[in-house]
Amino acid sequence: MKLIEMEEIKKDYFLGETVVHALRGVDLTIDRREFVAIWGPSGSGKTTLLNIVGAIDEASSGQLFIEGQEIKKLSDDRRTELRNRAIGFIFQGFNLIPVLSALENVMLPLEIMGTSFSDAREAALRRLDEVELSDFVRHQPDKLSGGQRQRVAIARALVTNPSLIIADEPTANLDSDTSRKIIGLMRDLNEKEGTTFIFSTHDQRLLDKVNRLVRLEDGRILNGGNER
Amino acid sequence: MTLIAIAMGFAAVSIFQGYIHNTYKGLRNSAVRGEGLGHLTIYKQGWLEKGKIDPDKYMFSQEELKRISNLVEEDEDVILATPQINISGLVSNGRTSTIFLANGVIPRDDKTIKGTWAAFRPVKGEGLSEKKPYGVEMGEDLASHLDLKPGGYGVVMATTLDGQMNALDIEVAGTYDTGSSATNDKYIRVPFTFAQSLYDTEKADRVVVLLNDWKKTEATRERLENTLSGAGIACEIKTWNELSLFYLKVRGMFDMIFMFIFSIVFIIVIMSVVNTMGMAVLERTKEIGTLRALGLKRRGVSLLFAVEGAMLGFLGTVFGIVLNVVVWAVIRSVEPSYIPPGSSSPVPLIVNLVPQSMLFLMLFLILLSLMAAILPARRAARQNVVDALGHV
Repeated sequence: MKLIEMEEIKKDYFLGETVVHALRGVDLTIDRREFVAIWGPSGSGKTTLLNIVGAIDEASSGQLFIEGQEIKKLSDDRRTELRNRAIGFIFQGFNLIPVLSALENVMLPLEIMGTSFSDAREAALRRLDEVELSDFVRHQPDKLSGGQRQRVAIARALVTNPSLIIADEPTANLDSDTSRKIIGLMRDLNEKEGTTFIFSTHDQRLLDKVNRLVRLEDGRILNGGNER
Repeated sequence: MTLIAIAMGFAAVSIFQGYIHNTYKGLRNSAVRGEGLGHLTIYKQGWLEKGKIDPDKYMFSQEELKRISNLVEEDEDVILATPQINISGLVSNGRTSTIFLANGVIPRDDKTIKGTWAAFRPVKGEGLSEKKPYGVEMGEDLASHLDLKPGGYGVVMATTLDGQMNALDIEVAGTYDTGSSATNDKYIRVPFTFAQSLYDTEKADRVVVLLNDWKKTEATRERLENTLSGAGIACEIKTWNELSLFYLKVRGMFDMIFMFIFSIVFIIVIMSVVNTMGMAVLERTKEIGTLRALGLKRRGVSLLFAVEGAMLGFLGTVFGIVLNVVVWAVIRSVEPSYIPPGSSSPVPLIVNLVPQSMLFLMLFLILLSLMAAILPARRAARQNVVDALGHV
């Protein structure tokens, strides 16, 4: 069942008078429950591709469908609602709000959605328990380790029960032991809850766990987007 | 710094507002009670324009005075309606003479008009009394120039309405401070009948009306104008603030100073909030990107910063209120005094706490802070999500 469909996606950046072709016509389809890695050298267009799939950036041309909706036709407000409801983000730098506790950070997407405080709190506590952070719910990000912060970010990405989670280099800032735990946690969630994960990475341990590898080079997908 | 700027601005405006509130109240009392203008003054039609040329023609007769008093005192808001007459001439101690301006008042009505004001500028010696028809109250500087003390005697001379010279003995029953160096060496208060005798008339040039509440001045004027014109009495009615030029001038000056101070605070608050919110947007660009990625709409981001601006305004004004109360308490305990321009004696510096004005100012500054935050907030909301996330 298709979750994401990309047809001839191109993305150009303008640096002064120079045009940088970040994506040069990407065709890609991702089904629900997939655990997909976007892999490629620096500057190959991985992050650009994830930003477009996550509906936080717009393609210069081509068509993108998420859950059957053509993104280009949505207003900014509708796109923002789609992100809130259907997409979770895990950032390389965690991107937690520093003045909020772990619990408040996880509650944030639900509060934006308009969920009642008690329901948001209950759901956030459940997600924090799943990522084994029940004892740290009151801690602010600066009182947590890197691995704990990334687990808070995962809990935040999951709290709205999205159909898709996008992770940009999720283990890049973590030590190997913590990386292993985070990879295991994401894989478990993918298998148990059927959440689709798309992430960019260079981490071989993470690449070993995926069931699909999309190789990107010079803004193009190699091998038809399936190396495994 | 922004909180301090808003707090200082609020306190500066509020303290000045408290000061002028007290000053206006003092000037109003001074005009109504001290100058004896009452709240309303009724003149015969044409008196203000031609009364000086032909006073006899434009003064109220005994019969007219009686009719006016009866009609006016029927009004529920009128405490008192009393005839008065202004006279002028020369006053002498037997050796030297000088000019005087006198107000002829009915002593017991004058006491009613003065009310508690009498305690603020008390008469040294005895006041006016029906029992002493030639007893007068004299301005302190005038009494001093003539070397007259309470109990002393002198003579006043004036031209009657018929153009004859007339002179009457006076006894200085008491002396008083008019509050103004410009009038303290000229003013006398005399019994109404004494003034009529000096001008050899039974008429009065006006009827002074005292109300139970100064706020009802305009409404009562309209009612009385209708009542008196309905009774066929051609007259014109002036309010205390129309007659007290001093009040109008001082008020105009203070209003101008207030606007000046308020404009400065207005600009400081706007600049401070815009600067602070601009910095906040810059510092939290990555957070804005994160919130947008998580699903917060553009108007949500705008609202977030606008509310933050309003909170800045709220906290600033709360600190401002504290500062205001502290300054108010210090002034009350120190009790400083000063001599205003034209005043003959020091007056206490009093600053009122005016809750209604403080609340209005508070709401205004909160709204102003919110408005000032809108520009940076809009800038925050319009940022590209990817650029914001990549901001370092």
